[in-house]
Order: sequence, then structure tokens, then C-alpha cells
Amino acid sequence: MAITFQPSAYSGLVDHDNGMVSREIFVNSDIYAEEQERIFTRAWLFVGHESQIAKPGDFFVSSMGEESVILCRDRQGEIHVFLNSCMHRGMKVCRYDEGNTPIFTCPYHGWSFATDGALVGVPFYKDAYHEELDKSQWGLIRVPRMTNYKGGIWATWDENAPDFLEYIGGFRTYLDILFDGWDGAEGGTEVIGGIEKWLVPSNWKFPAENFIGDRYHNISHRSVDLVGIGPSGQGRRDTRERDGARALDISFPERGHGTIVFLRPADAQPVPSYQNDPVIADYFYQSEIARKERQGQLWRIMGGPGTIFPNMSYLPRQPRSIAVWHPRGPDQTEVWRWFLVDKSAPPEVKEFLRQYYIRYSGPSGLTEQDDMENWNYAHAASRGAMARRHHYNYQMGMGYAVTDFEDGGLSIPGTVLDVTKARAGEQNQRGFYSRWADFMAARDWDELAGWRNNGNGSAC
Amino acid sequence: MADIVNLFEVEPGQTVRLHGDATAEVVSNPRDGVWLFVRYLTSPDDPDQVGTEDMVFAQDVLELVTD
Amino acid sequence: MVVANDPLAMLLLKQDVETFLYHEANLLDDRRYEEWLALLTDDVRYWVPMRRNVKFGELEREFTREGQDINWFDEGKDTLTRRVNQILTGVHWAEEPLSRISHLVTNVEIVDATPSASNAEGVALRCRFIIYRNRVATETDILVGRREDTLRREDGGWRIAQRQVFLDQNVLLAKNLTFFF
Repeated sequence: MAITFQPSAYSGLVDHDNGMVSREIFVNSDIYAEEQERIFTRAWLFVGHESQIAKPGDFFVSSMGEESVILCRDRQGEIHVFLNSCMHRGMKVCRYDEGNTPIFTCPYHGWSFATDGALVGVPFYKDAYHEELDKSQWGLIRVPRMTNYKGGIWATWDENAPDFLEYIGGFRTYLDILFDGWDGAEGGTEVIGGIEKWLVPSNWKFPAENFIGDRYHNISHRSVDLVGIGPSGQGRRDTRERDGARALDISFPERGHGTIVFLRPADAQPVPSYQNDPVIADYFYQSEIARKERQGQLWRIMGGPGTIFPNMSYLPRQPRSIAVWHPRGPDQTEVWRWFLVDKSAPPEVKEFLRQYYIRYSGPSGLTEQDDMENWNYAHAASRGAMARRHHYNYQMGMGYAVTDFEDGGLSIPGTVLDVTKARAGEQNQRGFYSRWADFMAARDWDELAGWRNNGNGSAC
Repeated sequence: MADIVNLFEVEPGQTVRLHGDATAEVVSNPRDGVWLFVRYLTSPDDPDQVGTEDMVFAQDVLELVTD
Repeated sequence: MVVANDPLAMLLLKQDVETFLYHEANLLDDRRYEEWLALLTDDVRYWVPMRRNVKFGELEREFTREGQDINWFDEGKDTLTRRVNQILTGVHWAEEPLSRISHLVTNVEIVDATPSASNAEGVALRCRFIIYRNRVATETDILVGRREDTLRREDGGWRIAQRQVFLDQNVLLAKNLTFFF
């Protein structure tokens, strides 16, 4: 069953040094099939949030790559992720989206599995199997590696993958902004009920690279900026807090992750924001003060859109959410979007954010609608025989990034491209695709964990 | 022939007659329409089963024993 | 369906309401968005929940909840007006070029009329819709579902005070919802 690795098969498709990427990697169905093996069975993938499975027996059916998985909490309270496929003949054992159950029963022949994955019910066990079937060998396939990081549940099929914290490395600083409370309280977030799920006719990498730090596509959102849906009534976000801030693109090319951040000046103070309503404005203002007290210099970093390689993207602040780009063939992506709020926020704040999230994001969101138009037709126009001969251009800002960015006594983790003046750059995308090429070429995690050899360790 | 039992209509505490002419008390109903958790009351084929708990399959549940 | 103790009044009211619904659909399909907005009351509630697959006996959890969960839409006139204004910027790329849309409204039932059918100032109705959308060259969506509307008489005509839309989809098969139900 093991895939036969031919490391050179896809070399040249990503030309990192010249900032070019072949269109084949987006539209070619053979490459797509290889991605399922080489990337989605080996990388850490986001499957859900612990607040979705708060009680024993709670489950949420998620997806890892193309495959359906069950995220559930067993009767002892332990969290598991299982392949959603009966061990007898492969039928989906759970076709509900979420709920609470003592067992998962396959409707085909009736095999039944406990919430810890154990095979507990086999019809005609005595008469037809003569009690000789070893049930302990036929439990649901468990995803071997799983972690709960600040409420986010991540899993990987590769037993040899590094721990999640090593996988994200120094990117942790930025991921924390998503999962911690607005005031910096550790893991202080929860999911609002209702996960958006919809189909976009585009390869999964288009949205992943868009979120990793594409500031250049601002023109896509001209219409929503003209109309104004932001938390202070204008634009699409609250931008006053960015006054005087440096614009930094942060990449971890050896890991594939990247994000946009805004870095406040060393002497910055919290400024009022979310000013549509005094209660909301006060909450965010007080939270910023508390965060500054808690985090000191780190408070200066304001998170923007980011992507954890391969297919988990997020917006840590406005509007605070997670998107997973599930591959559904080379030409289609099923997007799932979770929305986060501070657990401890007053009801008015949660309600304000809920309305903001709905009008911003997803297929009904005034902002995201225009993104999907681009991904749709960029993909469609890249499928032809002639189009495929021409690489995409990722040359913006090449040669201007540094690995030791420091400002006012604060060291910024990652490879930093300061785009304060430039306004845009493409180093994050280059990092994403060079990591993609690593995954497509590497035999195993010994090769993929290159940072272990160059002294660029997990603390990077 | 008796009508087959819809397991959604079976409540804990009720008695069911099973394949092999055993009887059992329903301990809990997972409400999947396919399985019941029971405790054996009688078991002519295997007397050691009496008092033990087990999962029983819908096709092995012959009837709901009404008082 | 409301008990029709005055069958003739009910018939006339239904005719009146249907005429209004078809007129409304025409405005949308003719892209007369601002005229359409004028048919909404200032306090209109527009709600389109998402829809889950849930276990037998748990249908109360099927729809995401208005005012509590994430929904496809859960808003009032302010946001609806911004949606219209966005289309009218000319740079809303998801609707530029514009979609070709037909709203088919059918199975109209009057659920309630207050104070009475013969003198109705408010109507609760239920109907079904098929929305056919074709865009650019081959992009095609068909959305089907149930709609529950509350109409109120204002300035001598019907206005929409509440619209609830129950789509027959789980994963939304359309890439966006840039149109109105």
C-alpha cells in the first residue's frame, strides 16, 4: 500500500529561487492524487474545537483531506479522532454532522463501535462467527496522533510526525493570538454554534495561499470597503488601531506556515475600537489594556490572516475564525468555517461579533464572496493546455526578507518581510509552495523535519 | 408471526424475548434502532448468561414481553 | 392553514398576496434592487439558517438558531441595504457581471391573517421557491426550499416584515449567496 516515492517526479514545479510555480500543481489530477498521500496523510490537520464536544458521548463529524473522520469524546472524557468507515465493509458509521451517542452503529450489517472506537456489537457473533472473531483487532481506525492545543484539536495519520508544537515551531506566537482570549487569557475562546460548509470550484491551494498573506488582493474587496461593514461602521475592519504600525509578512518556509501581522510602535497605547456600540467598544478597549499588561512587548503584535500548512487558515482578530480547505478533487474545495469568541465575553459582545462574522465571511459574507470569484476563475483559466505551460509569478519582494527582525527591543519570530512601505509581498506564498515541494519529495518525516539538522530548532 | 419490534419503542426496564428463547431486561437503549443493552433473566441454551449484561441485535429481539 | 370562515375573503386575500409575491420576485429578477428594498419594513428580519444532519428524534437541532448561532443570513434592513449597495458599486466581482436569476414562487398558503381575512393588516404565509441562477458562461445554481413570510400593510401596500428561508441543502452547493431569497 505504501506509495513509491520518486522524489524527482515533481521537481521544477516550484521554482523557489525564481519565484515561480507551475500551474500543473493546481490543475493536474495525478498531482492532486499524490497530494492526498504525501501531504494529507502526513501533515497535522485541524479537525475541530473542544467546545464542540464538551460532554462525554459528544461527537462532531469532520474531515481530514478527503476522508470523513469522527471527532468524539468517550465516556471517560477522552478525545479521539476515528476514520468514519466501518471495519467490516467500509460503510460510514456516522452520517450525522454532530450530536451525542453511546455507540456508532453501521447501518449496513450492524457492526457497532463504542465512543472509544472499540468494536462492541457484532451481529450473529455466536452463531456465524462462532465467537472466534477477535473484536479487539477490528475497532474503528484511530488517528494515531492527536493534540488539543488551547482548545483546537489537531490530528495526523503519521505516527512519525513531530509533536504538534514542533510542527508549528515559532509560529506558535501567532497561532496563540487566535486561540487565546482577547485579553490574552490562555485558550480563552469557544466556537459559536453553526459551522459553515460550502463548495468552491477551485483547487484547495488557492484559498490557502490567499490567507497566508496576500495583501496584494485588496482591490478584490473594493466593493465592501466602499459599502462598509466593519466593527466601527466603515471599511471591512477596524483599522485605526493599526495607525503607526509596521506591516510585516511572516513566513516559516521550513514549515510552510505564514501570516500577516501589524506591529504597533514601542510606545503605543490601546486605542478605542469597535465603536459602533459603547458596551462593545469598552470590552475591546479593556481587553487590550489587560492584554498589554499580561504580554508586555508581545502585545504590540496584532495578528492578521494566516495559514498553517497545509490547509488550515485563520483570522485571529477581525473576524475571528478558522477556515479549513478540504480537498474535493483538483477542481473543488469544500470550505468549513468555525467562528470563535471569547468564552468570558458578555452576551452583547458575542452577539455583536456573531452579526459581524455573518456579514463578513462565507458564501453570504460581503467580503469573502469576492475572494471566491477570484479563486473560481483563476483556477478555471489555468486548466488549458496552453495555460499550463506558463508559471504563476510569485516574485514580489524577493530578496528583502530578514531572519533577525527586531523593533524597539522586540524580536519577531520567523522570516520577516517588512512591507510597511511596499504594502505587499509574496514571501509567505513562496514559503508555502517550497514546503509543498518538500512534502511532495520527502520520503518520511526524517527528511521533512529539516530544521532539526540546521540548528533552526523548534524554538525558531 | 409476531410483528418485528421497532427498537425505538423499547424502554429501559421492559422485558424482551430473544432468539434462543432467552428473556432479558432492557438496561438502556442507545436509540440507534439496531441494538439494545440488556441483562439476561433466563437463558435455556446457556444458563451462565443469566444476570450478565450484553448488547443484543435487533434481529435477535423477537418480541416485547408485555405484562 | 387558517380556518376560512369567510372563504371568499380568503380567496381574494390569497390572490392579493400572490400578486405581491410575484411582483417582488420580478423586481429582484429585473435587478430593481432599490425598489425591492422599499418593499421591506424598516424593522424587517431576514433569516436563513444552516441545516444539519441529525439523528432520528433530534430534529429540533436540525436548523441553526436565529439570534444565537451562525446562520447563512440573520439580519435586518441595514445589512440588506449594504448588500444592495455593494452590487451597485460595479466592483462587486462576485456579481460583476451580474447573475441571471429567476425566482419561481409556488405552493403559496395563507397561514394567518390579522385581524381578519377580509380586513387583513398582517399576513403570515408559507411558500416554496426555486431560484435558478446562471452566471458568466456555464456557472449554474439551483436552490430550492421553503419560505415563511410575514407581510404587513403599510402606506396602502404590502411590506415584508419577516422572511425565513429554509434551504434544502446541508453543504451549500453554491459558491456564494450574492442574491436575495
